[in-house]
Amino acid sequence: MAGAVAITGVGQVTALGGDVTALTAGLAEGRCGIGPLTLFAHRGRAAIAAQVPELPPTAVSGARRLSRSDRFALVATAEACRMAGLDAALRADAALVVGATTGGMFETEEAYRRWRAGEHRRVRLSLFLGMPLSTVGAAVGQGLGMFGPRATVSTACSSGALAITTAAGMVQRGEAPVAIALGVDTLCRLTYAGFDALQALDAEACRPFDATRRGLSLGEGAGVVILERVDHAHARGARIRALLLGSAVTADAHHVTAPHPQGSGALAAMRSALAAAGVAPEAVDYVNAHGSGTRHNDDVEVAALREVFGARLPRLPVSSTKSQVGHCLAAAGAVEAVATVVALTDGILPPTVTLRTPEPTWADLDFVPSAGRRAPLGIAVSSSYGFGGHNVTLVLARPEVRT
Amino acid sequence: MDRSDVRAEVKKLLIKGLRLTVSAQEIVDEAPIFGQSSEGTGLGLDSIDALELVVLVEERFNVTIGDEDTGKRAFASVAALADFISEAPAA
Repeated sequence: MAGAVAITGVGQVTALGGDVTALTAGLAEGRCGIGPLTLFAHRGRAAIAAQVPELPPTAVSGARRLSRSDRFALVATAEACRMAGLDAALRADAALVVGATTGGMFETEEAYRRWRAGEHRRVRLSLFLGMPLSTVGAAVGQGLGMFGPRATVSTACSSGALAITTAAGMVQRGEAPVAIALGVDTLCRLTYAGFDALQALDAEACRPFDATRRGLSLGEGAGVVILERVDHAHARGARIRALLLGSAVTADAHHVTAPHPQGSGALAAMRSALAAAGVAPEAVDYVNAHGSGTRHNDDVEVAALREVFGARLPRLPVSSTKSQVGHCLAAAGAVEAVATVVALTDGILPPTVTLRTPEPTWADLDFVPSAGRRAPLGIAVSSSYGFGGHNVTLVLARPEVRT
Repeated sequence: MDRSDVRAEVKKLLIKGLRLTVSAQEIVDEAPIFGQSSEGTGLGLDSIDALELVVLVEERFNVTIGDEDTGKRAFASVAALADFISEAPAA
């Protein structure tokens, strides 16, 4: 990806709330959205999650049949469109790129459970209509009137970040005047049982970068970023909230779940993204890390950060928003990009709220423990690493950095 | 069940089964279930609701809606559906 792209709107739904205002407050106050899992019953090592407390309302007709996932996606996209000032005509031509991994799996599981239990003699169509990942784009596009190019990408936990780089490429190539990038996933039995079987879940709220960390906490939600060419944003008088200066996508070709032990893919993604952005490592003010809280990820990620930022790393704040909203899977990269945009626009360093006991070997590093701090930020890096070795790094900046 | 009881049961099934946001009192017995009448009454349900409703009605009332023509007749309105259920032989 070459050349900066303007971000003119963001939207989100997470355990911290149903809009960007709630996220901003949560980041500043250092709220942790991880609590008891009540969406479904699970017997296993863990029973906690960063669950969205209540289904956010939507005025779009036909919403009654939407899956949890499609509803999160629609609500977050509507918010981002309002913020960006996208009227019906601008939405009509907009491209839509969705990152998702389980779509309407939660409802599909419910249909199967009711059928197995004899509560329904025949399976209810409305409970599994949201199963194909393509329905997210269909639901959002139909609800908000989008007739432009549409694509769905799925690269595990970097899907949301990949949606952003894909959408940015579309506006750079002139395939659409505006592109909407969306990452979404909801909690479901399949995901929860799967991560539990991998022994990847912490029984307590996840503690990224902490010496006592034992795994991740699953979350859910949607994150949305509106992208357009800088001249397009200027021409229509839109406020540019942030710039996507550059990004890069790499792969590990190593293991189905584990990161490469030397973090070669993560390292390559960070270096390539900085190069694409034309940003020297010394110019970066903040890193919104993948920071899942597993032993493996955090070890490999910190090692890669030391490689890229060297002796300056102790003076570079690094934090994990997953300590507040859990690991939102396909939504993670998008939600964390939104958090990073908020960090830039509002001058808040998002915290790692659950960090109590830093690893002794990382005692020199600043993981922004406990609560958000005020700090003027110019350039920030946000990375997402997905199972199967899918790595994406985004380089974001305040608009004043380049204009 | 007499026909007014059946109508009330049909309305309950529509609201709960199809997750409608209207109350039973707001549903006009003679108004179309799918789309709108020329007077602008009707629930405005679509073809997905129709497929779902076939299953809901068959399970709840133990009747069979075997083909499209039967479905069109049965689903003309709440009143028509209640009549169809009352007159149908048990499946």
